[in-house]
Amino acid sequence: MKKVLSFFKSWEFFLICLLAVTCAIFELKDQANLAAGLAKKDVFNFVNIVRSLRPYLLYAFMTLGMMLILALGDMDISVGAIATLSVVMLAIVYRFFTQSGMNNMLAFVLSILACLVTGVLCGGVNGFLVTRFKELFPMIITLATQLFFRGFSYLLIGGETITFKDDTFALLKELNSLIDLGWVKLPVMIPIFLAFAAVFFVWLHLTSGGRKVFAIGTNPTTARYSGVQVDRIKMICYVIAGLMSAVTGIFFVGATSSSVKADIMDGYHMYAIAAAILGGFSTDGGKGSVIGAVLSLFIFGILKIGLGTLFGFPDSSVNLSVGVILILSVLIPNISQDIKNANRVRKQRAQTAMQKA
Amino acid sequence: MSEYILELNDITKIFPGVKALDSVRFNLKRGEIHALVGENGAGKSTFIKTLTGVHQPDGGEIILEGKKVVMSDPIVAQKYGIAAIYQHAASYPDLSVAENIFIGHEFKSGPFIDWGKANREAKKLLDAVGADFSPTASVGSLSVAQQQLVEIAKALSMNAKILIMDEPTAALSRRESEDLYAISRKLRDQGTAIILISHRFEDIYGLADRVTVFRDAQYIGTWDMPVDEHVLVNHMVGREITQLFPKKAAQVGEELLRVDKLCRTGYFKDVSLTVRAGEIVGLTGLVGAGRTEVMQAVFGVTKADSGEVYFQGKRVTGCSPAQAMKMGLGLLPEDRQKEGLLLPWSINYNISLSVLDRCRKGVFLQRQREYEISQDLKKLLAIKAPDTDTLTGALSGGNQQKVVVAKQLAAGPKLIILDEPTKGVDVGSKAQIYEIMSDLASKGMGILMISSEMPEVINMSDRVYVMSEGKVTAEFQAQGLTQDVILKAAMPKSKE
Repeated sequence: MKKVLSFFKSWEFFLICLLAVTCAIFELKDQANLAAGLAKKDVFNFVNIVRSLRPYLLYAFMTLGMMLILALGDMDISVGAIATLSVVMLAIVYRFFTQSGMNNMLAFVLSILACLVTGVLCGGVNGFLVTRFKELFPMIITLATQLFFRGFSYLLIGGETITFKDDTFALLKELNSLIDLGWVKLPVMIPIFLAFAAVFFVWLHLTSGGRKVFAIGTNPTTARYSGVQVDRIKMICYVIAGLMSAVTGIFFVGATSSSVKADIMDGYHMYAIAAAILGGFSTDGGKGSVIGAVLSLFIFGILKIGLGTLFGFPDSSVNLSVGVILILSVLIPNISQDIKNANRVRKQRAQTAMQKA
Repeated sequence: MSEYILELNDITKIFPGVKALDSVRFNLKRGEIHALVGENGAGKSTFIKTLTGVHQPDGGEIILEGKKVVMSDPIVAQKYGIAAIYQHAASYPDLSVAENIFIGHEFKSGPFIDWGKANREAKKLLDAVGADFSPTASVGSLSVAQQQLVEIAKALSMNAKILIMDEPTAALSRRESEDLYAISRKLRDQGTAIILISHRFEDIYGLADRVTVFRDAQYIGTWDMPVDEHVLVNHMVGREITQLFPKKAAQVGEELLRVDKLCRTGYFKDVSLTVRAGEIVGLTGLVGAGRTEVMQAVFGVTKADSGEVYFQGKRVTGCSPAQAMKMGLGLLPEDRQKEGLLLPWSINYNISLSVLDRCRKGVFLQRQREYEISQDLKKLLAIKAPDTDTLTGALSGGNQQKVVVAKQLAAGPKLIILDEPTKGVDVGSKAQIYEIMSDLASKGMGILMISSEMPEVINMSDRVYVMSEGKVTAEFQAQGLTQDVILKAAMPKSKE
């Protein structure tokens, strides 16, 4: 009973309500459009949503990495640049090996590996700098590495757009495909993402490693005095964030006609931060839940689909609504706490008055 | 006109979940030092905040110089001539002394601040409190004692009639405390009324003219000094404390810790000491003598430049805190709120943090196992809380300290280093912590206690090391040891 009650007070419950309200509003608008004869059939339904979620889930993998960094109480704004550098490496390695006559498939596997290794190394650089120079804010360090990684990408390929037309490289497009389940066409990306999210959920919420991450985010000094290997765990988190950026990069290339440029995925870190924060993570560190972050990714996706297809807002102006929701999501817990406190004080005052009388 | 400059009657203050003040009263005469004492959580801080306008009372009245007043916010309180100085001076470290003193009421000349006048006036105030530093020095470069003088000068600059001192000597050495006593007496003789809040009996008996006791948010009584210490303690605790220092005989066993000529430039030099199983070793000295720094190096929080540390005969120099804990060394840090606890976390989570790897089954954490460990320790250390899901931020100082001790004990240490274990802990919890120490030692654990409180050093230790200016200057057997002997060894040689 107590557990059920605490669920209704949880942030995840609030997000589910938010999701439901958003869907309800869109559904009403959809019906109104139909009734007014503006549309021939309803657009806002489950099948359509699932099918069109794909482009909005690209940064979802990055969000998983960002969750860890936020739980530590840090901030990593280099994740977008890491993703770019990783796919640039992927393209260079693939081009180099195929041009030197290697078997396409082998070159493909090697280039994917190179991409993931680049992500890990970039995360490692962040982790090293953050744990070595504790007097600097992680945000400043990753601001610097962001510029470095992006600059390095330009150094490698300049303004060139690298495109591959062969069948092997086109395998990446499979990541962007839909699985036909009969009643609904499910993007391949969704089950893959949910599997990743499940792993993160288990690690962050059910193992000692995850508990230590939250402990560091709450108070790194106390964690250290309690025998938590703070630097090691921070390093692991930054490396994972780098790796998830590389994964994001791979999906991005799959979704965008197999071409790579040095300026792609600019600003992706902001979406990742936004989704994690709406999911209950905080820049102060020490809190948040994977389920919340996953829910907020879907909220953002549905919001963009609805506002775009039903109301006809261009994608860039939809960011405005994301901003508004983000600010509200930070304010609401504060306001509800204030109200709770005021109520308790009022009750106690009444009790005291009764005792006196 | 009444003989009191300030009267507070029937003050009640309610916070979410607790009644912090329950119809308490307090009065203050002109030119007296009135000590306000009580255990942590007795309501002293809330009371002061109500008086200085930080909190609004839910009932009761404040009468200042015969007139009923409302302290609607801190600025109003300041205008009425009430100033407070806190344990951790709330000053601006990067600003100069003069800027700190006159912040909020600067001397204006047109749109500009008249720095010449500010510095001259600051100098006068500093002379009045017997400070010998320049008004243009930055506050961050001053010692804690000097910063406190700045706070007092600031209070004087606002013509404070009532001065509140909250734990003013907590971070001061004995010499500095005595200087502060002299200044306080001087201010009193000039007619300033002073409210003194302190856990230190030396402060209360050295300074106060009257004493008021709060307990559990209620007013217990006011007495003229001197009051018998035993009586005062019983009023504060609400029960009879028969034995403050319950030292048990323990079998002293093998050598556990040996520190050999440990050095860290700028902090300590050639520190050598040993601790044996079943032994309580005191490490004392003035604040800043390098005691905490030595133990941080032993525990691996910092690195020593040279020298060796041996644990049970094995060389362990330069280990990490995690390794130290694994081999059986625990450290209770000095600042329990900033270094010892995760305040937003429950007792259970705090205790299990040091033994998470032992609460695992496969990759998964076993909640059940965590609860077993923390509930056992809660019972063993008599931590006062409804259950182990209580947040540690909501506990009193003494109980918080016990949670930190519990966390160290959970890891199963053979030797535990306690850095100021009773600092800011009320007298009732103090006795309990001493008892826990005695019990642990009698079970064969080695204990190294860093402490500035002479009575606990002398009464709880088997052996005592004294540090001064980064060096161990003396080693004593505790039997028959007196404060004078320790102090002589603790005094910096350069100042003699």
